[in-house]
Amino acid sequence: MSDNLARVPNAHELRPDIAERTGAQRHIEIVAPSKHARPRVVYAVSAVTCVGAIVVAQLLLSVGISQGAYEISALRASQVELGRTADSVSEDLIKVSSPQSLAANAEALGMVSNSTPAYLRLSDGAVLGAPTSADGDQAGAASLVPNSLLTETPLVTQQAAGGTGASVAAAAPATTATGTAASTAATTTAAAAVAATDGLPSPTTR
Amino acid sequence: MAKTNMSSKRRVAATVVVLVAIIGLFVVRLVDIQVVRADTLSADSLGNRSVENTVYGSRGEILDANGVVLAGTVMRYDVQLSPKNAKQFTRTVAGVKSTVTVPEAAAEIGAITGQTGGQIEAIIADALADNPDSDFAYVSKQVDVDAFRAIYDLDIPWLTFAKNPSRVYPNGAVAGNLVGFVSSEGAAQAGLELGQDACLASANGTETYERGADGVRLPESTVTTDAAVDGSDVVTTIDSDLQFFVQQALAEQAQTTGAAWGNVIVQEVKTGKLVAVADYPSVDPNDVSLTEAEDRGSRAFTAPYEPGSTFKALTAASVLDAGLATPNSQVVAPYRYLPENGANVNDSSNHPDLRLTLTGVLIDSSNTGMSKLGELLTDQQRFDYMTKFGIGSVTESGFPAEEPGILNPYDEWDPQTQYATMFGQGLTTTALQVSSVYQTIANGGVRMPVQLVTGCRAADGTVTNAPSEEGTQVVSASAASDTADMLEMVYQEGWLAKTWNIPGYRVAAKTGTAQMPDGNGGYTKGYLVSVSGFAPADDPQYVVSVSLADPVNMNSSAASAPVFQEVMSQVLKKYRAVPSGAAAPDLSGSW
Repeated sequence: MSDNLARVPNAHELRPDIAERTGAQRHIEIVAPSKHARPRVVYAVSAVTCVGAIVVAQLLLSVGISQGAYEISALRASQVELGRTADSVSEDLIKVSSPQSLAANAEALGMVSNSTPAYLRLSDGAVLGAPTSADGDQAGAASLVPNSLLTETPLVTQQAAGGTGASVAAAAPATTATGTAASTAATTTAAAAVAATDGLPSPTTR
Repeated sequence: MAKTNMSSKRRVAATVVVLVAIIGLFVVRLVDIQVVRADTLSADSLGNRSVENTVYGSRGEILDANGVVLAGTVMRYDVQLSPKNAKQFTRTVAGVKSTVTVPEAAAEIGAITGQTGGQIEAIIADALADNPDSDFAYVSKQVDVDAFRAIYDLDIPWLTFAKNPSRVYPNGAVAGNLVGFVSSEGAAQAGLELGQDACLASANGTETYERGADGVRLPESTVTTDAAVDGSDVVTTIDSDLQFFVQQALAEQAQTTGAAWGNVIVQEVKTGKLVAVADYPSVDPNDVSLTEAEDRGSRAFTAPYEPGSTFKALTAASVLDAGLATPNSQVVAPYRYLPENGANVNDSSNHPDLRLTLTGVLIDSSNTGMSKLGELLTDQQRFDYMTKFGIGSVTESGFPAEEPGILNPYDEWDPQTQYATMFGQGLTTTALQVSSVYQTIANGGVRMPVQLVTGCRAADGTVTNAPSEEGTQVVSASAASDTADMLEMVYQEGWLAKTWNIPGYRVAAKTGTAQMPDGNGGYTKGYLVSVSGFAPADDPQYVVSVSLADPVNMNSSAASAPVFQEVMSQVLKKYRAVPSGAAAPDLSGSW
């Protein structure tokens, strides 16, 4: 009950229609025009300037973004290109690091595998195992485990022989003429031997 | 006053009517555009500026134990042309314009793809003959990056390119029979590619983006409609370098002896891991057409055969484990033995009665001696031992289409089979199962699960599907070590002692020469010759098991012994096995 009584003076706030009616019935009086019209122009000017600034900023921003789009596009293209280069060289690398390639190259360079290992024990100098020299009977067998990826990859000796091609041809004209696997191996060995007369290949240090 | 009121009311009414009409018009238009024709219009607009792009997920790699890629995915490119547009064009090089005719362009393309200009012109002509408006024909499929770039740089307007991810096997035929291969469409066909497809498989995704009139991608317009999923990597237990060596040694001997096929297995004794599984003939997954269809799998897993005498080690270990014999148990081995059940057992060559110990039975590989000792066990006992050794069931390797071999229940054995199963006939095993038997004997009687794949490794390094590494005790440690000692005597005193000698190491090995079934219930004239063994015998590390089928030029296990020697030497060298220090056991073979 006391709550009801407390709200009575505010009743017109709850009933805006009543408040309006009472307002309309109030006394209306003419007020002299304000003497402070100038500051309003300043507001207008600043508002227009702001809008202008926003428009210009927006323009610059979209110019920037579209400039960036071209940059991104160019970078994307070069990323694709570089990715392809990486693919290409890593494919080459993986190809030449295959066991077939390594074995064929090692063999072409005159290396042989020794299947009877012997060990020297450092603590007492004991020789473990039975040391025998390699007989190199595995030579020429590199092609038994095929790898069709290597068909166009030359051996290191074939690449090195490029410079001494004339002397190789002179030294082994018979073997270069025939194309069998065995004679290819012979050719590459000959190439290595001929190349060795010009000095062993060694890294150049500056 | 009233009049103005009236006119202003009319104006208001008119305005309202006009406004409602205009709004109504807009609403109708809005509904028309946003609802009725929405799909068509948005498709039209997107079609003009949006591009859908396939994002390729890459299929997982198959790796060897050291991370060497055995199978990988590379991007390849299909070169296509538009036959109806194949006309001469103007090319500008460094500001200089020149006209390129079709034959010239064809020759340029052909020089890169390995075709002749004429072949490419024929492609154009054929396509136009079929359909004068033809807009599509393949020039070359799956060219590599270098070729693609070279052709792209030719700047020929009627050429188009499509990406075509493809599988590459950098090591060629090394482990080719294990790795398997995929079809040209990328579907798994054989080997681990097939068996581990669930791990390897990837899914392609799509993204759309919008582009401006000049083809430049609009910023922030990329929408990934479907994310690409890369496959996981399969890590195998194979060592690709050793695998190469083993395949090489096998192929060399198989060709020398004229064998139809063969395989070599190298298995780690302590873990059961397969370090090398070589098959001859081997397949190069890069070009499977070079190999006969039946040679494209791995016979080590899929071709069971009657193992023959290598199986005697299993029977000997069983008899020792049951406590019914010792390595020195004495037996008289006749040439022909006729047991009471009606079987007829004879040795491979005629000989007088021999007074052999169990050790001697293994050294001489006597069938009759083995029968007299093997019959100490009941059929059921022997069947149970065989089952525990893994005979008659597929191994844990997970290789697709692996065969379990045939081991009939013991109560179905006929009298001859009851005896034949003691020396490895009347049942079939894969080379893998034989290797596993020797692994068990070498590992103190503990059989380790055969492991080919160590797991499926996701990009974040988590490994799933790791196989079990829990061994099972099949025979007692003492039975296993006694068997190993006897096999060492076989290595020292057997007839191949000189052939398979590995200086500095103690080795245990046993030969087998088994008749091969002809598929019609009989036997062919050819033999499957094998050697299985392990080294160093004082601390076994590796099992090597060699099988050659029908080596016509040398029809005995002397054909497989050199491979065993060569491979075992390489294995011991490669893994730095310490040469044996202690003296070998000295068991007597006769009495």
